[in-house]
Amino acid sequence: MVIILVVFATLVLYDLPRFIKNKEMANAMIIYVFFMAASLAVSLLLVSGKRPPGPSEWIEWLLKMIEVVK
Amino acid sequence: MEKAKISGIQLSLLFTGFLFGSVIIMNPAISAKNDAWLSIILGGFGGTLLIWIYASIALLNPSKTLVEILQEKLGKILGNTIAILYIWYFIHLASLVFRNFGEFIATVTFPETPMVVVLVIFALILVYSINSGIEVMGRLSELFVPIIPVVAIMVAFALITIHDFSAFMPIMENGIGPVLKAAIEFITFPNGETVVFLMLFPHLNKKENLKKATMLSVLAFIILSLFIFFRDISVLGSDLMFRATFANHLTSLLIPGINVEPLIDINLLIGGGIKISVCIYAAVKALSQVLGISDYRILTAAVTTFCVVLSIWVYENVLEMFSWAEKVWPYYSIPFQIVIPLLLFFLSLRKKFEPSNAKTES
Repeated sequence: MVIILVVFATLVLYDLPRFIKNKEMANAMIIYVFFMAASLAVSLLLVSGKRPPGPSEWIEWLLKMIEVVK
Repeated sequence: MEKAKISGIQLSLLFTGFLFGSVIIMNPAISAKNDAWLSIILGGFGGTLLIWIYASIALLNPSKTLVEILQEKLGKILGNTIAILYIWYFIHLASLVFRNFGEFIATVTFPETPMVVVLVIFALILVYSINSGIEVMGRLSELFVPIIPVVAIMVAFALITIHDFSAFMPIMENGIGPVLKAAIEFITFPNGETVVFLMLFPHLNKKENLKKATMLSVLAFIILSLFIFFRDISVLGSDLMFRATFANHLTSLLIPGINVEPLIDINLLIGGGIKISVCIYAAVKALSQVLGISDYRILTAAVTTFCVVLSIWVYENVLEMFSWAEKVWPYYSIPFQIVIPLLLFFLSLRKKFEPSNAKTES
């Protein structure tokens, strides 16, 4: 868990100066935070052994519901 | 838009590398067992038709990416909504290829190394390549993609003494059903996945070379797929080839005296690397166009990190990966690869033949 936090912190610290230097818009910041937060949340869940249902399962469930896949 | 341009040959090699991508380790046509060669021909024909449509869309909308075409044809709101779905599709595709690559390396090459370590190291190199731009990706493919057929031919010649050239007989023992099913899978994986190139086509320096470059690539891909199929089946036999998790790798292990296993890894590194970088490049480019961000590079690291995490999250094990790719992927891909591109193709054609356009042209 500590390794994951360190990896994400390094990534954010590496990208932060570019955001400041380029004076990027709020849009870019929001989407960046969204991807990083989602990645961090899923990583922490996976590492703690609580794997949430993945997108492949959602897609399969959806296709089964509309009877495309049996 | 980024002003970088690539030549016809660079696009052609990038396209060929993309088509090979994960097919080097999992060929969907193999589900038709010894009739897979028929599925490759039929699926290849269908795929060529689909790729011709993608190239036509790009030529009917010169210098426009998929996002810009969607916004123009379907309006800002619907266009952006579908563009977001495409961004998801590209990210999902990249993560599936990451997983294929990770499973192969963690199962075959480095069984003691955790898959996540392999994926993170690979991702670091890919982020560097994506941030260097499309020109660098084009040049890299020019340098590396020719290695793929060389390796395939080398392995075939090394095994020339243990071939059984009648292994693909009898033809259509189980009827046409499995052949057609495998052909449809071969259309959606990998031919239809080239829809992602609608984000890259505007970078081609000479538009008149677009159809020639893409058609040559798909032809090279079909010929090499047939060659690899005949090589594997004549060495392994139909039953073992069907049951083997990584048939290509198993074939290379049978070469007496030397170990050429790393050559298969190199092929996978090249094909998988190109496929993942093209998908992530398309996703970040599309994201930056939807949100109006000036430089796509700012998002590359975040999206690649998400792809790596998604690749671990997406399946529980290798069997689930194969089953999902065979049963769900073809249906899930249909809207992205066939329905929406066909709609865009007809809308682009209609605009071309509108009376106002015809007057202006005359």
